Amino acid sequence: MSTNDSAENIHEQIVTLLPRLRRFARNLVRNPHDADDVVQIAVERALLRLDQWRSDARLDSWLFKIVRNAWIDEVRARARRAKILMPEEAGEQVGEATMEREIDRWSAESALTRLPEDQRVAVSLVLVEGLSYKDAAEVLDVPVGTLTSRLARGREALQEMLRLPEGEAS
Amino acid sequence: MTISDEMLMAYADGELDAASRARVEAAMQEDPEIGKRVARHRALRETMQGAFSGVLNEPVPERLIQAARGQTAAPKSAVVDLSAAREAARRKNSAALRWQPAAIAASLLLGLGLGFLAWHGSGGLIQPGAGGGLVASAALAEALSTQLSDDRSQVSVAVAGLSFRDKSGDYCRTFSLTGSAASLGLACREGTDWKIKALAQAPRGAANPGNFRTAGSEDSPVIRAAVEASIEGEPLDHAGEIAARQAGWAAAAKR
Repeated sequence: MSTNDSAENIHEQIVTLLPRLRRFARNLVRNPHDADDVVQIAVERALLRLDQWRSDARLDSWLFKIVRNAWIDEVRARARRAKILMPEEAGEQVGEATMEREIDRWSAESALTRLPEDQRVAVSLVLVEGLSYKDAAEVLDVPVGTLTSRLARGREALQEMLRLPEGEAS
Repeated sequence: MTISDEMLMAYADGELDAASRARVEAAMQEDPEIGKRVARHRALRETMQGAFSGVLNEPVPERLIQAARGQTAAPKSAVVDLSAAREAARRKNSAALRWQPAAIAASLLLGLGLGFLAWHGSGGLIQPGAGGGLVASAALAEALSTQLSDDRSQVSVAVAGLSFRDKSGDYCRTFSLTGSAASLGLACREGTDWKIKALAQAPRGAANPGNFRTAGSEDSPVIRAAVEASIEGEPLDHAGEIAARQAGWAAAAKR
């Protein structure tokens, strides 16, 4: 961020990013209303922690990180009484009878929900939100190598579920 | 030549350096199968990108916009705080501020200080003080109490600048705020509070923490005038700031 950018109204910058924050949250939380709750918590939290934002860091990455952490906190707090969490076990059933049973081709949306959480978030940050590996790794507080392997595994599973025709897209 | 699938993935994602890119491209020419694998990665990327764009076109709920603008924290009590702050600032100003530039500062303080309260909500950097007036809080109070003016290693929304003692022996510091409403200000230590003495809108680009001394107080006639009107002696040097910080910025004996 340049000096001019950081002098601009950060509130309006966050407003501009809201659609993407909602998209990211929906890839974490199935229920759209719950996803918006997570975004709201994250945004309020971000405003209280503006001093922790390194002005040379991307605002979107920083906010994604707060959204993700807000989600983790919410999951911890609410897992017992509400089912806002994506079915975690579902990710382990990829390739098993459940997925071949009736569905010929998964939609990208439902395929993503079938991934284990760490792969789902990696795919969401890099493929959906377009973050670099480095930025995505920072959001998740993991080394780039870890991010890369989660992404690779997630992609492999998605390829299988989506059955993208090989080579035809070239 | 072995090319891992992770490398092909990174190639499709544009994450490879030039050398590795050249390697992949050479391999693609040699082996059509590698080209197909890259194409699959690209196709997946495109699919995933497009699949979730629906939400981007949905109207954003008003509650989220308000949250982003810092308008969600108990609007009713904020109104009360604002009028209390206005009253307190008016009393304070009429009683204590005698110099002309400070009167200008005071009027700016009223407008901008209230703006700050509204902007920052419960996480405000400037809040009504217990004894009237406005005091620094949160990151601003932290910056004023801990930052040295020549240490720019901390990047914060609030940056402390010039330090000096005023005519009554209190320590005062200029500061700059970046972010929502870039500002320059002057705060003086009173008890355990940093009382806001003046606050002015920062000229565009002036609130750069890296060159506060030159672009900060110098750039705001209001703050500069407030400093000149209240400063006693010279500004503190590095050692002076460290000593003052160690003493908790407790007022020096009156001269």
